Amino acid sequence: MQLKSKAPPAKAANTRRRLMAASCALLSAGAARSQEPSAASAHSGLLEDWSVDSALAYYHENGRVTAVEPVVDVSKVFADGQSLNLNATFDALSGASPNGALPSHSPQTFTSPSGKAGHIYTIAPGQLPADPHYSDARFAFGGNWTKPLTRVDQLSLGGKFSVEDDFVSATVNASIAHDFNDKNTTLSFGLFNEFDSLHPVGNTPVPGSDFTSLVREGGKTKDGVGALLGITQVMTRNWLSEFNLSVDRFKGYMNDPYKITSIIDSAGNTTGYEYESRPDQRLRKSAYWENRVAWTSQVSTALSLRYMSDDWAVRSDTAQLHLRWSLSNRERYIEPTFRWYRQTAANFYTPFILDTAKQSTGFESADSRLSAFHALTYGVKYAQKLPGFGGRAESEFSVRAEYYQETFNEHVPVPAGLQGLDLYPSLKAILVQFGWRF
Amino acid sequence: MKIGRLSFLWLIAGAALVSGCSSLGVKPWQRDVLAREEMRLDANPLDGAIDDHMYFSKEASSGGRSFAGGGCGCN
Repeated sequence: MQLKSKAPPAKAANTRRRLMAASCALLSAGAARSQEPSAASAHSGLLEDWSVDSALAYYHENGRVTAVEPVVDVSKVFADGQSLNLNATFDALSGASPNGALPSHSPQTFTSPSGKAGHIYTIAPGQLPADPHYSDARFAFGGNWTKPLTRVDQLSLGGKFSVEDDFVSATVNASIAHDFNDKNTTLSFGLFNEFDSLHPVGNTPVPGSDFTSLVREGGKTKDGVGALLGITQVMTRNWLSEFNLSVDRFKGYMNDPYKITSIIDSAGNTTGYEYESRPDQRLRKSAYWENRVAWTSQVSTALSLRYMSDDWAVRSDTAQLHLRWSLSNRERYIEPTFRWYRQTAANFYTPFILDTAKQSTGFESADSRLSAFHALTYGVKYAQKLPGFGGRAESEFSVRAEYYQETFNEHVPVPAGLQGLDLYPSLKAILVQFGWRF
Repeated sequence: MKIGRLSFLWLIAGAALVSGCSSLGVKPWQRDVLAREEMRLDANPLDGAIDDHMYFSKEASSGGRSFAGGGCGCN
């Protein structure tokens, strides 16, 4: 819609529009790289001068876990350029979680980690063993404070804290960014330190111990440190590029305390189970490259590529593409998404242990997340601008849906007794998310 | 001498840093397109956080875009 102005003469109005356009361009100079929310308004009511971003996500796996996750994120930019961001997340999870054991032609009976009499479950022949009593809740909150040190230097300090029924995690981070080349280039460097405390239900199984022996220990910890070096570059008027290199190292109790591995004989019969046993440290390195390109006034893309490797022999490649198509004078947009991922197996991953080759001192895990697989994600998002309320110019409502599927790649030879069983069932999941920002 | 893929990326990054950046970029009055919301590297931070949480719980990789720490007992 075009508005016809009655008041100022045409020449003066044109001059004013040009000055406004120039001012807007100058004021938005740092916006491309900005990690900052929009500037605060002058209103003073509750959250009136804060930017609010919220979402409610529903996640469901085929026959396994269901999660509901509300998230809220508020941020404010102060007059002196400092900014503050606070966020809170709640997760409620329930359903059936695979325990790591193989399917079998015979029924299999397990006891949940809680050890309660009512928490014994039997898995039918041919079915993937999964603990049907799985449930957890997580509450997490975090904050980030950013302060300009000079016209071209910026310091950020942050932290997050999360609590689950059996897990507590605290992380602090600090980073510094420096702009140069007329603010077309930003070099950043950051460090983080994470401390985790685990108190598994039914206490912590000794890694590699027999599932039925109930050899348990108390709580465990692990901690991690990491660094990230990044460069952001304005390439052209409509092309922004970011390249990050990161390294992190975690030490401590790295096992999933609820994962077991089937022990089978040479005929393929299950003779027992033992708890997984992973190395007590892990070093990861990754490279990440993202490019954002505005192809036309309506169409833009964000393409990211990631390569990661670690000293467990996991190598992974990730490519993700977002295509945004703006409509109705940018009042709404549709954003299809596609993601491709593949990883190699950890060098101690094994779907089962042959009892003839059992090594009590070796590492082993049947956790499918450490196996070789590839995954595809298809998604689409729709967002619609809505009238604002209070002193706000506008708000935005969005809904998005994703479909995720993992397919396992490397199938090891199995004894005759395991033939005909689906030892590598693919994981299929959907995510539906509603968002509202104002 | 064998050069790993990650080492190769380090070399590319270093070369780009010392040679290429000064000849790239735009003038301040040419940032109109870059100022659009979809050109921000964190255009949809909650979408990214929720996706990262899902992938962190299902895959052996995390991070890259930002710090890799999990803060979740799901993996």
